[in-house]
Amino acid sequence: MRRGPKILICVAAGMLCLLLGMGVGSVSIGLGDMVAIVRSRLAGAPLPGRIPSITASILWNLRMPRAIMAFLVGASLAASGAVMQSVLRNPLASSYTLGVSSGASLAAAVVILTGFELPLLRGATLVLCGFLGGLATVFLAMGLAARFDRNLENTTVILTGMVLSLFVNALLTLVTAFARQHLQQLIFWQMGSFAGQTWSNCGAMLALTAAGVLVLVRYGREMDLMTFGEEQALSAGVELKRVKLLLIALAALLTGAAVAFAGVIGFVDLISPHVVRRLFGSNHRRVIPLSALFGGSFMVLADLVARTVVSPQELAVGAVTALVGAPFFAYVYFARRRGERGA
Amino acid sequence: MLELKDVCAGNGGADVLHDVSCAFPTGGSCCILGPNGCGKTTLLRVMAGLIPHRGQVLLDGAEISGMKRRELAARIAVMSQINAVHFPYTVYDTVMLGRYQHMRSALFGGPSAADREAVERCLASTGLSDLRRRMLDELSGGQRQRVFLAHALAQDPETILLDEPTNHLDVKHQVELIDYLHRWCADGRHTVIGVLHDVNLALRLSRNVVFLREGRILRAGDFGEIADSAFLRDVYGMDLSGFMRESMALWRDVR
Repeated sequence: MRRGPKILICVAAGMLCLLLGMGVGSVSIGLGDMVAIVRSRLAGAPLPGRIPSITASILWNLRMPRAIMAFLVGASLAASGAVMQSVLRNPLASSYTLGVSSGASLAAAVVILTGFELPLLRGATLVLCGFLGGLATVFLAMGLAARFDRNLENTTVILTGMVLSLFVNALLTLVTAFARQHLQQLIFWQMGSFAGQTWSNCGAMLALTAAGVLVLVRYGREMDLMTFGEEQALSAGVELKRVKLLLIALAALLTGAAVAFAGVIGFVDLISPHVVRRLFGSNHRRVIPLSALFGGSFMVLADLVARTVVSPQELAVGAVTALVGAPFFAYVYFARRRGERGA
Repeated sequence: MLELKDVCAGNGGADVLHDVSCAFPTGGSCCILGPNGCGKTTLLRVMAGLIPHRGQVLLDGAEISGMKRRELAARIAVMSQINAVHFPYTVYDTVMLGRYQHMRSALFGGPSAADREAVERCLASTGLSDLRRRMLDELSGGQRQRVFLAHALAQDPETILLDEPTNHLDVKHQVELIDYLHRWCADGRHTVIGVLHDVNLALRLSRNVVFLREGRILRAGDFGEIADSAFLRDVYGMDLSGFMRESMALWRDVR
């Protein structure tokens, strides 16, 4: 199939996922009703009599922010995963490898445990601290790696990140031991959830995701060259060190924001780029936005499963992505290996 | 003209090259010869600006460490051993990436008509036109190395530095690659500087050689004039010319 129609189909499928995420649940809401509700909220049109105001409220205040946030978080994670895999030339790398999630989790755990609140930004304390904790860990990992190895070789970066990540996780375990009464909250945060999202959260995340993905697309060619090796990229004219630091910082920013709003959700960042590369090739100007589209759609569906399958209870969405993602990834990865050996 | 003056350099640790001075005029070719660990590849990496150095590396009089990567890439391309392909690209996309330093980094800017023409020329001259849509990981080693040759040519450089590009290639593809590069630099405007393990292959590329041992230049010039049996034995720690003559003898009776 030609590339154009294939991309259109993917965009349509993404839209469909979003609509499903908004429409399905304890109360089912059809497409016509959705349009009517959105029109009444945005344009002030009167709500048709057949739609109870509670349904309108469920859609506008709960489902829509939740589905949109799930999409944005999935998109950010997937785009940053694609970047990390290319920059570190490792198909299993992600921002999590460099400690974003452990750093963010530790910061959040400290906030939950101490009841610390930022002045002026009380409601956003947890999100902001988680975000900063994640970023700080990545920069610490990069700083340490740069001290060990002036050229920032990939293996040094990955090993430093993993060691630091394990260390921070150990600290987290320690902190958790002192926080028995908050255990439920902590565990839920570490497995991820989209419950209780607001429109203002969505706005902030939308701005970050859109800006991040755009800048990443701008650096698509540099990432293409970097997948062939650092010396190859240098001798083709890429200012390697600067670009590499910028890309890692951007990926950490996207992941940090995602973790801060929704907790730690694995596998989306890992599988999305691999699926997209199989369908559309490795060109990053396509891989980045399409990974974001795939990751976003996948996350909306995962959240749909998480909140409906044992309703009225909710599963942690991270558990759903891992349950689906792990076998799926194994299938994709090993099917390709088998194909190569057969060829 | 690429000129080195009192260059010292190493791969991160202690110096591998000591006070190396030599010059490579534009137009023509040169091979760097010497035993394992003598600093051949380090010398090449210094000239490509891939590792830091002390002393001066001058490209037409300008120190390369002061140049932007794009400027340097417009003058010097590097072709090395077959790279592992981490993520599959098409032949066409890979060659197009060689145009990187000619393209502006606009957000939605694609390659210009000039870029596309240049890529077509490189594909045609390396015999890859029919393979353009194939993925790199579907190609044989010889085909893949031709793609990286086309990628280097697409950079449109004056100089190509070769770092053992023939490793893992069979004899036919080795000879094809070397002959191609030999023709490429025969026009007087292009330069090839090569590090090749195989001395015979190196001499096929160029009679102009530089002998290195333990990071120092022993002799440089025309192979026929500077190399004799005693000297080669000294450089390689074995009777190289005797070995070559014995190898020739093995072929004498082949019909």
